[in-house]
Amino acid sequence: MNDSTISGDSPTGPPKPTAKKKRNLPGMPDPDAEVVALSPKTLMATNRFVCEICSKGFQRDQNLQLHRRGHNLPWKLRQRSSKEVKKRVYVCPEEGCVHHEPSRALGDLTGIKKHFCRKHGEKKWKCDKCSKKYAVRSDWKAHSKICGTKEYKCDCGTLFSRRDSFITHRAFCDALAEESAKSKAENPNSNEGKDVEATPPPTPPPTTVVPSVFPLQNPEILESTTRLLEDATPPSLTNSTQPSCSSSTNGSSSSNVFASLFASSTSSGTIHSRTNGFANLFHSGNDRSAPPSSEPISLCLSSTFGTAGQERRQYAPAPPQPAAAVMSATALLQKAAQMGPAASNASLLRGLGLVSSSSLNLNSNGPREWSGGGPHLEPDSLGLGLACDGGSAGLKELMLRTPSVFGPKHTTLDLLGLGMAAAAAGGGSGGGLSALMTMPPFGGGGGEYGGEDMQ
Amino acid sequence: MKAELRANPPTITLVQNPNLFTTPSAAAATQSRSVSGAALSGCCLSNLDGACIEKLLLHCASALERNDVTLAQQIMWVLNNVASSAGDPNQRLTSYFLKALVSKASRLCPTTTFNSAAAVGGARRLMSVTELAGYVDLIPWHRFGFCASNSAILEAIRGFPKVHILDFSITHCMQWPTLIDAVAKRAAEDGGGPPLLSLRISVLSWRPNVPPFLNASIEEVGQRLTNFANYRDVPFQFDVVHHHEVTGQDSNLLLGQLNPSTLKLRNDEALVVNCQNWLRYLPDDEDDDHEEDDIRRSIPSSYGRDSFLETIRNLNPCLVTIVDEDCDLGGSNRSLASRITTCFNYMLIPFDALETFLPKNSARRLDYEEDIGRKIENVVGFEGARRIERQESSGNLWRRMAMKNGFTSVPFGEDTVKEVRVLLSEHASGWGMKKDEEMMILTWKGHNYVYATAWAPLDRAIT
Repeated sequence: MNDSTISGDSPTGPPKPTAKKKRNLPGMPDPDAEVVALSPKTLMATNRFVCEICSKGFQRDQNLQLHRRGHNLPWKLRQRSSKEVKKRVYVCPEEGCVHHEPSRALGDLTGIKKHFCRKHGEKKWKCDKCSKKYAVRSDWKAHSKICGTKEYKCDCGTLFSRRDSFITHRAFCDALAEESAKSKAENPNSNEGKDVEATPPPTPPPTTVVPSVFPLQNPEILESTTRLLEDATPPSLTNSTQPSCSSSTNGSSSSNVFASLFASSTSSGTIHSRTNGFANLFHSGNDRSAPPSSEPISLCLSSTFGTAGQERRQYAPAPPQPAAAVMSATALLQKAAQMGPAASNASLLRGLGLVSSSSLNLNSNGPREWSGGGPHLEPDSLGLGLACDGGSAGLKELMLRTPSVFGPKHTTLDLLGLGMAAAAAGGGSGGGLSALMTMPPFGGGGGEYGGEDMQ
Repeated sequence: MKAELRANPPTITLVQNPNLFTTPSAAAATQSRSVSGAALSGCCLSNLDGACIEKLLLHCASALERNDVTLAQQIMWVLNNVASSAGDPNQRLTSYFLKALVSKASRLCPTTTFNSAAAVGGARRLMSVTELAGYVDLIPWHRFGFCASNSAILEAIRGFPKVHILDFSITHCMQWPTLIDAVAKRAAEDGGGPPLLSLRISVLSWRPNVPPFLNASIEEVGQRLTNFANYRDVPFQFDVVHHHEVTGQDSNLLLGQLNPSTLKLRNDEALVVNCQNWLRYLPDDEDDDHEEDDIRRSIPSSYGRDSFLETIRNLNPCLVTIVDEDCDLGGSNRSLASRITTCFNYMLIPFDALETFLPKNSARRLDYEEDIGRKIENVVGFEGARRIERQESSGNLWRRMAMKNGFTSVPFGEDTVKEVRVLLSEHASGWGMKKDEEMMILTWKGHNYVYATAWAPLDRAIT
């Protein structure tokens, strides 16, 4: 009554391509046959018969003999003497299996081998399309050919490889509602034998639609920005003063606070960053005022590990690089952005009342209004201490190496300055991070940070 | 095992200093600049494995608790260099933990303009019903519980002409189509016993404020379920149990209202109570340790798990199914450190599982992980009653049910075990199943993930 929509219906799922034909109960051997019980190892062995010349292995002696002919070696094929034919049957080595019983042995070696793999072996062949797994390679190949064609299909057009998923979808799909309504109109008493018209999918597939406007106070920005950046969606926010890099607007707008977070306890400085968002931000600042004195060294210290491409990007108008680069920082700090993006020295930690010694670099370029009604941002409130004169060479290397290390995440160099600052503030002479990294939980007493916590 | 889960094939091999995190380095802080620089240059962030990340997280949390902002910042910076919500499972997980720590940091001081109320329940992604249907099947996290429970329910209601299922769950009835389907199939088979005359499912109008969020009302979901049941010729009724004046966190009021009349129980119906990922959102019952938790004290009478279970038992159900995450995060006194450790190792499971079959930039994967991220934020970022993710281990549940609340375990049948095995065989090979005492446990690479249990009141009166 319900199966009109299920193609390839079978009780447990899509039909197995092999060995599912209706047939007599397998394994009712000739009582005279010789019963062969092989160990799992022997059964699975692919090279029981090895050629002494080329070491090629064969499963059957017959095949080896045929092969030997090629080497001009003596060979001997068993002759089929009609009298001598002793039929052989094979039992499954798995105790408790029905085919372990000689009375249910299978007639050929390949059959018992496949049975053993399917029922008692590891399913190591996985279909790329539906993740269904098979123990026997030929099963997998056969499935791969038909995968997607004989699966469960909802009237809305969606395909399912698993019955559970199909049933659940079916129950809630608009296609069913429409169909039921129609069938009720036609024939209130019957659900069967009707023509089912395909209906368009009731809802678009899961999408990552994001609002085109990002009010920074909106908590949704956390999620939406992440997805936006992930998908490298075309920019929905543009700033007329920054045509070169509009796609990173989100990143930069949030980085403001992020930067403040980390920069709060540092001396004044300039952020130098190689990510789009931050670079862009930096640019935008320069549009209106002379660039703050910068220490190129901090940018170019790129290390042996950074890629040249990334370095070059620093001051160039950033190409629309996949925004995954800024994502992590962005996603993280959107949260922080909620607390006070408009404040020119909006330091998260300052806001927390936890920071005392911050002197942010406030170049007061005047508020910049982002389209979309976002809050005013002052790029230069990013003031980050690039306290690299502390000699924390290790830090630089560490930071600069990052980009090449993390595949899709090109860089988190927005934190370059931050890290520097942190180190400078914490350790003074580059010892800050080192101390951090080598600190008690990982070892013994760690200087000023103490070792009292969480061993 | 940890190593297996966290295997992070480095794409670029860099000099690694294996001593960095293991050697007692009292001298490190006093080492000369060049030495520390060398130590750092030997440290490759990509090689920060899960154990190191976990330590950094613990460090950061500890620094926050001690108000050591500078240190916390530094660790966050390091973590941020590791974290990427588009990277490998460890990096992704780290990014959500980092987010949770930043959120915690921003909440530590009440004088800010930071609106912490927005941190939880604020951002929500609404799914359509069919999207949700796909969501629950991405990994067997939900389906395992559905499958085990439905199979046990089907067995328990055999022979009863009328059945009433009281559903406490967070997945908006995604469990029920397959049950309706199974009921229909059994009715079509010979020897299915007396036909089911009525199947009724009741759900509360209240649910914890956790993902997944649906863009449709529960009534609409019920309408579709009814429609589907009609289509399958299953006599079906859907009820919503409404509450009076229940808002926000005050599930107490609602749950306190549960009784045979509000639930519209009928004597001729066999009652089944289904709890999927539900118990953990109920607070612990008031116990001796009076915490300094203001929020909790402001709730008049805490309606906790034991009260809930007692209420349930008094309804005299023929079966109670309980499915939840097998992870010990409960207890209001669990320290932040132990929560981070437990949560980090536990939550790696879904991240690792998703990695096996979805590309790194898959939108479905990102959405799924984001929802897990919310959980992490709740576990790490909040204390007291606002920490609503209070998973308890399967062992704890067993003690709670059997020792404290007068339930006896109902073993899962062979068919159920078989069904679950078939289900798992259709997912990634890392998924497995353990039968532990009388419960079934979904495992990932041998680690417990979700348990499914079935219970009946010890003194169930046969009516």
